[in-house]
Amino acid sequence: MERIFRINTIEMRDKVESSIFSKIGLMFFLVAFLLTGFSQSIFAQDVRELWKDGNEKYTQGQFAEALANYIKIEEAGYTSEALLYNIGNTYFKLKENGKAILYFERVLKLNPSNADASNNLALAKEYSLDKIEGVPEFILTTWIKDINYSLSSDMWSYISLFLFAAVAVLLLGFKFAYTSRLRKLSFFFGMVALLFGLISAAFAWDQRHNSGLKDSAIVMKLVSTVKSSPDISGKTLFILHEGTKVKLLEELGGWMRVELADGRQGWIISIDIEKI
Amino acid sequence: MKRVTIFKKLIVATALLFTGFAAAAQVSFSVDAPRVVGLDESFRIVFIANAEPSSFDPPTMQGFDILAGPTSSRMSSTQIINGKKSESFEVSYTYIVQPKSLGKFSVSSATAVINGKRYSTQPVTIEVVKGEGSSGGKSSSSQPAAGNVSSSDIFMRMSVSKGHVVKGEPLVATLKLYTKMPIAGFEGVKFPSFNGFWSQEIETPQNIEFVRENVGGVIYNAALLRRYMLMPQQTGTISIDPSEMICQVQVKAAQSSSGRSVFDDFFSDYQTVKKRISAPGIRVVVDPLPAGAPASFAGGVGEYRMEAKFSRDSVNANEAVSLIITITGSGNINLIESPKVDFPVDFEKYDVKISDKSNKSGSGASGSKVFEYPLIPRGAGVFSIPSVDFSYYDIQKKKYITLSSGELKLKVGRDAGGGGAVYGSSLPAGVNKQAVRSLSDDVRYIKIGASGLRKGNSMMFGSLVYIIALALIIAFYFVALRILSKRIEMNRDVAGVKNRKANKVAKARLKAAEGLMKQSLNTAFYEELHRALLGYASDKLTLALSDLSREKIRESLSAKKVNEELTNEFISLIDACEYARYAPDGGGVEMHSNYERAIKLISGLEV
Repeated sequence: MERIFRINTIEMRDKVESSIFSKIGLMFFLVAFLLTGFSQSIFAQDVRELWKDGNEKYTQGQFAEALANYIKIEEAGYTSEALLYNIGNTYFKLKENGKAILYFERVLKLNPSNADASNNLALAKEYSLDKIEGVPEFILTTWIKDINYSLSSDMWSYISLFLFAAVAVLLLGFKFAYTSRLRKLSFFFGMVALLFGLISAAFAWDQRHNSGLKDSAIVMKLVSTVKSSPDISGKTLFILHEGTKVKLLEELGGWMRVELADGRQGWIISIDIEKI
Repeated sequence: MKRVTIFKKLIVATALLFTGFAAAAQVSFSVDAPRVVGLDESFRIVFIANAEPSSFDPPTMQGFDILAGPTSSRMSSTQIINGKKSESFEVSYTYIVQPKSLGKFSVSSATAVINGKRYSTQPVTIEVVKGEGSSGGKSSSSQPAAGNVSSSDIFMRMSVSKGHVVKGEPLVATLKLYTKMPIAGFEGVKFPSFNGFWSQEIETPQNIEFVRENVGGVIYNAALLRRYMLMPQQTGTISIDPSEMICQVQVKAAQSSSGRSVFDDFFSDYQTVKKRISAPGIRVVVDPLPAGAPASFAGGVGEYRMEAKFSRDSVNANEAVSLIITITGSGNINLIESPKVDFPVDFEKYDVKISDKSNKSGSGASGSKVFEYPLIPRGAGVFSIPSVDFSYYDIQKKKYITLSSGELKLKVGRDAGGGGAVYGSSLPAGVNKQAVRSLSDDVRYIKIGASGLRKGNSMMFGSLVYIIALALIIAFYFVALRILSKRIEMNRDVAGVKNRKANKVAKARLKAAEGLMKQSLNTAFYEELHRALLGYASDKLTLALSDLSREKIRESLSAKKVNEELTNEFISLIDACEYARYAPDGGGVEMHSNYERAIKLISGLEV
């Protein structure tokens, strides 16, 4: 309790700091960055302890204790791929399959290129009861998605920056090259780099955008009924089991309109599901 | 008596001829007596030896009157069948006795010395009941009339060793026929099917042998028909179906009214009557096994011991070895399954060989069952096999007992066949490359290293860093563009301006000469050109006009690092001017070309 309180106060200080910095403006960005880094390193001490301890507990097979540690870190407002991944693993070991799937999905939301998480997610899904055939996607969309999700958003950001820098250099080359051949080549490659840079930026944006969306959820209850209307007297359309992923369409008074991967829709009580 | 001696001689002769055979023959000395007799009955007790005893020590018989005996008789037979000779010999001592009173009496063991060794018979207990002996022959009055065979004269009974068992506990069911009357045969025998039991016939006599038995004070001739071992596979009350058969009973024919002749009595005309008899069904209560069975429990009930060992303690790779697990004890041993053994993955395993060395007797099955797990280790090393567990339910102690073999170790040396030490191209014979199998699934391990913990959205794209980096790239582009274009502009302007300036200077210097050229004044033009060139040289090289000699100009120009060509051009133009001043008119064309030359020269020097 005390620990969480301490972390909270530090968080508040952090907020105050950041608001001041935003007022002062861009000029002090560097200073601000250094300072936040510094302040983080102070209160990260506790969190780092929890993290280390949690990992040790996991290694010793004390999954419940490890989970408690990880959850504490999460409640303190921290998140990272590694943390979510470890929570997912711990839930899997505790045989809470729905939770495990939820956390692996969260990791993939942060970074769709995380191979470990997708491997574990596939394994956890093996244990969930519902088998839903997805509607086949347009092949081009699948390809684009595959390319997009082969790298993380940050990676795409770096690539786009690199390509934009290349565009700048090549455009300068186009303007100032000595021979016309060189100028032509510079222009061509400059345009190519610009195109790929924009695509990379679009991928990076897409992943960031998706990670912010709360548009899907995992069924947490062992058995949950999906009704035709948002009330308990509605007709039961179908039954979902723990670990099934649903798409959220709208919310109405504690009920959620959800869509399965195969396109079927219905209303489910919000407490039965957890957003990814 | 003479006969006997002849027999004796014969026996001695055969004994001499076939000493080996005689020596090999087992000497036996046994007693034959009924177990149940009636009080008024006289019966025989016979002691039989299969060799000539040198002495016979008679038994003591309490509670019996010895009516006759011991009378000894000898019997010998020799058979030659297809050239194979077999002979048998028997000496018997017979007593005819009669009981004195009701109760159980024992006949102590008789002792005989045969071939110098002492042999004793088992003591026999004889029960004396009030009933009548059925084979006495004297009690003909009790014989019922034809067609009137009552169910107390002949019946069948099924009995079980235990009526209350736990699931899997073996019990023995015995089907017996009891009769007071002679039986000619059976037909339509129907044995029960034992639904709910695992059943096995453990005794199926070829010849039905009747033994006297006391049933409720009545003496019956009892015969064992079938004996089964049953192991209940269900719980609850299981009933065993009734068994049925039709007996052909021999009944004395009813006496004819014409009276009885002596012959009638002698050839007593028996008549065969068919009588359907059935043994009533019985019920066995089967309790379920208690809950909490260990994981290694596979239905074994009884009492067992286990032993596990390898056929060899150390082998070389690619050599066969087997793990032998022996389970010894009593209970449902023939239903025991092979215990589960976790062998190392690179052991090649084959089907378990099971040999059942149990024998089924009246008390259930006992003995041992041997499980042989044939293995071929494919790699060298010391392998330990986790403890093999075998659990059973102990009926006496009423609890589960787990036997554990302890960890088994097997040392596997390198392949003695050679070539196996280096895997790869030269695999030993009989070893095929195989794909790495997935044995089980698990999640990949957690991330141990850097946590990368951060608050909120930490993605690069759209962050301040990204925007700044993008802005920096754009700024860099524009700055570089600015700088580069300025420099090029500057470079291009300096040359142009200089050029233009130099041209201007040259043009200004040669302005007068130009005017003269247009007027076609040859001499004046060259004079002016000459002066202009010298004036330019003096200005350019800061030399006094008086000092201007060709050598001086050359020296100064080369000191200014003007190239040789221009220098020569300058000198030659001056020469041309001097020459043309005094030479006849060269015409406008030449004037013009010299003028051009001069402009080019000055421009060249200025740049």
